[in-house]
Amino acid sequence: MIRLDNVTKIYKGETHAVDGVTLNIEKGEFVFLVGESGSGKSTMLRLLTAEEPATEGDVHVAGKDLSRISKWRVPYLRRNIGSVFQDFKLLPQKTVYENVAFALEVIGRPKNIISTQVPAILELVGLSHKQKSFPNELSGGEQQRVSIARAFVNRPLILLADEPTGNLDPNTAQEIMRLLDRINRTGTTVVMATHDQTIVDQMRRRVIALRAGQVVRDEQQGVYA
Amino acid sequence: MAGFLGRAGYFSRETWLNVRRNLTLTVAAILTVAVGVMLVGLGLMARSASANALGRWQGGVQFEIFLEPDIAGGQIDALGEELRNHPDIERIQFVTQDQAFALLEEMLVDEPELLAEVSVASLPPSYRVVPRIAEGEIIESLAAQFRQRPGVYSVETGRQQVDAIREWFNSFRWIVLLMSIVLAAASAMLIFNMIRVAMFARRREIEVMKLVGATNSFIRLPFILEGMLHGLAGGVVGAVAAGALRSHVEELFGRSEILAFFRSFTVTSGQFTTAIIATVLMGVVVGALGSAFAAGRFLDV
Repeated sequence: MIRLDNVTKIYKGETHAVDGVTLNIEKGEFVFLVGESGSGKSTMLRLLTAEEPATEGDVHVAGKDLSRISKWRVPYLRRNIGSVFQDFKLLPQKTVYENVAFALEVIGRPKNIISTQVPAILELVGLSHKQKSFPNELSGGEQQRVSIARAFVNRPLILLADEPTGNLDPNTAQEIMRLLDRINRTGTTVVMATHDQTIVDQMRRRVIALRAGQVVRDEQQGVYA
Repeated sequence: MAGFLGRAGYFSRETWLNVRRNLTLTVAAILTVAVGVMLVGLGLMARSASANALGRWQGGVQFEIFLEPDIAGGQIDALGEELRNHPDIERIQFVTQDQAFALLEEMLVDEPELLAEVSVASLPPSYRVVPRIAEGEIIESLAAQFRQRPGVYSVETGRQQVDAIREWFNSFRWIVLLMSIVLAAASAMLIFNMIRVAMFARRREIEVMKLVGATNSFIRLPFILEGMLHGLAGGVVGAVAAGALRSHVEELFGRSEILAFFRSFTVTSGQFTTAIIATVLMGVVVGALGSAFAAGRFLDV
């Protein structure tokens, strides 16, 4: 599902944000990317969504070679990838329902599909009763559930999460992890960058540790450190 | 089809939202477009008007061959025969001394003392000549051919006047064209900036759209439509202003004796419609260009 072949990303000719990384992630895996701030976790995720091109090496995502993909195909690649962020990136002037529907609307999904899929996904994340609320009326955990609903409503093959529990208290973080685990069980590949030691140690999934842009550890059922 | 209608709803909603958000900038852009395209409209109309007026004069008497007052009848007929058979001449009209006097009477109706000095016999009879091709050069060469004939007193052409008027209108058109280019550029830049502001205001939405895989053209379209809407609005306002100005000016020409000369500068309704349509289209094109550039640059990440 995801394959990196000796990938290097250099910013402005100096910093090696990602340095000669080779790895392979199979369909349906759940992978934690761990490491200090600046170790290259976020850059790695940005390489996968083609927000940044690799300086060297090949990045393959969902069967596409991103170094060869033409610019106009990138949006279609992203429809196979759901993204979740620490700061949720919800649109404040739209309701919960509209935030999720927006993701389908802007890729041109027909109305009847939107009106069946949005309630279904809100049901899955447990927010059916908050459809008409605005993001500022929700708790952090609820907002993150909306953002996960938005990322998953189009049933992508891959879900990328950049510190999704970074702004949440431990109990709420647990809820979010249960949700991501459920999504993973539907066959979706989940890649999550995190600092949260408790969560990593508790889940016992594959852990890829980065330091200065290099993979220093790659363990199945690993722990944080 | 349902999908397309759904999208049409999305585009119109988003476009309208943008317009409402930047009302003052929107008005500024629309007015600049309006003034610019109004000038374009007026320029086009002035062009038609001058063409019409020149055409009218050229279609009328092009030059007149005045004969000596005491010319012999045989000479008049011979000259007439030659003119009629000349390949470059369409038709001729003979003006007798009596007719010439009648014309003079008309012209000097307010100055009977001047008229009293003139007798019918002292006036030259003339041939009014309409050439086949109404061009200054041809008229001039025809005039030259007949100027030296025996019995010919003088040949007068309207070329100088026609040329002067043509020149005046040409420079007027150039000035108008230049001004409208400057204003069109200014409007395009205003719209460019407006769209940039609009896109900046909505950068979070755009970020999310890109994140979930909206295509660039999908993201751009509401902004380009917005720019085109501004252009269209400006075009319509400009066209209305140009139309109002036209009827005002024509009324002025009709009323004022000083401006009576300009009465032949009228625009047919067909030409008016063409000018108005061109004016509105120009507005739309300016709006589309400004916004397309803005949308293209902002999204190119």
